[in-house]
Amino acid sequence: MITPRFFLFLAALVTLTVPAMAQSVAEQKVRSTNDELIAIAEKVPNNEVLMQKVRPVLEKNMSFAAMTRRAIGPGWRTFTPDQQKKAISLFTDLIIRRYAGRYTIGERPEVTYKAATTPAPGRAEVPTLVLYKGSKYEVIYRLEQSEDWRITDVVVEGVSFVGNYRSQFDAQFQKGGATAVLAALTNAVNNP
Amino acid sequence: MKKILCLSLASAFFVGCATTKKEAPAAPADGKAAVGGKAAVASADDLDTYSTVAQVPDPLQPVNRVTFWINHQVYRYVLKPVAMGYKFIIPEKGREAIGNAFENVKYPVRLANNLLQADLPGAGKQTGAFLVNSTVGIGGLGRPAQHIPALADLPPADTAQTFAKWGIPNGFYFVLPLIGPTTLRDGVGLAGDWALNPITWCGYVWGQPVWYIAVPAANTMRSLPGQLDTYEAATKDTIDRYLAARTAYIQYRNEVNSR
Repeated sequence: MITPRFFLFLAALVTLTVPAMAQSVAEQKVRSTNDELIAIAEKVPNNEVLMQKVRPVLEKNMSFAAMTRRAIGPGWRTFTPDQQKKAISLFTDLIIRRYAGRYTIGERPEVTYKAATTPAPGRAEVPTLVLYKGSKYEVIYRLEQSEDWRITDVVVEGVSFVGNYRSQFDAQFQKGGATAVLAALTNAVNNP
Repeated sequence: MKKILCLSLASAFFVGCATTKKEAPAAPADGKAAVGGKAAVASADDLDTYSTVAQVPDPLQPVNRVTFWINHQVYRYVLKPVAMGYKFIIPEKGREAIGNAFENVKYPVRLANNLLQADLPGAGKQTGAFLVNSTVGIGGLGRPAQHIPALADLPPADTAQTFAKWGIPNGFYFVLPLIGPTTLRDGVGLAGDWALNPITWCGYVWGQPVWYIAVPAANTMRSLPGQLDTYEAATKDTIDRYLAARTAYIQYRNEVNSR
């Protein structure tokens, strides 16, 4: 028999366990992504090859669409569907190149995972400590749930990638709207 | 839904109030707050998650952009080759030991600022780490304190951070020749760090010009590879190097000030 008290108990159970599940799913996602990336990095001869090989892994585990939308901000609404598609594609190229370009082949990062948090429903943060080339960095992975959990931002020592791009896109958008943003993105992708 | 909207408006309002006193957080901690009135309306939708991104007044931007451009050329064509030469001559372990020693000597900077921030436990830990590293670590070349959990990975403490914790605002942003991004507050902080750093005054104690030129020069040299690396990480593959560096600087300093 379902009493109100039992119902309350169920509700409490759900509110307590859902974030906990989200936390472990999010952490697992970051772990498996990093493991996969590190395994690839150990087998490639140079950064060019690394860039090609990590692309499918990053595309599967990160949401470049969400990252692009957020980096551009409310101005995104003035983009036509074609412009949106182009912006996502260019921004994806830029991020992947940035990621692969910063990696020093032969230097393996050591990642320590700390307890994940859920700052809001459908969002999770996985804090880590990364030891890379003799230096320690606090790196927070931000994730969001759409169909599945995807990484939507990486915050290194307080520097949010998406937040940083946002300040750059804002300036372009104020200058000339979607056209200026796309021109600046094209320029950045074409001139490494 | 209405409740969520009210909540996020309320949190946006609180963040807005807080930022007039303290600085805006590097990024929204709760993933939904936004700064100020105009942005607060848009914070209901997820496109504006990052409207709180570190902002700083930049009235000298045209001049700063010129200094930034000159710095970029100097880094690229002068300092980077110098740093590569240093990395070529001294192997990684050696560079690490030299870096450790210079960081260890900076202990008065950390101690003074822990005390100015009324952080007595912090000052005690810094002292402990300094003593362990100076003795067991042979003059700070090694960092055995890293193996003592209570003394490992101590938070940074510098003069600019002290000013921030006292509630002094950034003032405005500017780019120093060679040194790079700073703000009015942090620039004064840098001068404080400089004055507190024994590297600055050890030469005068020994009384030989070669020491008060050679030691700071060596310190600059050993920190060059790391600093150029950070600069590249912050500005490569960006839309606008200047804004990328400015935002990254403020984001990073906000993080340091929160530790």
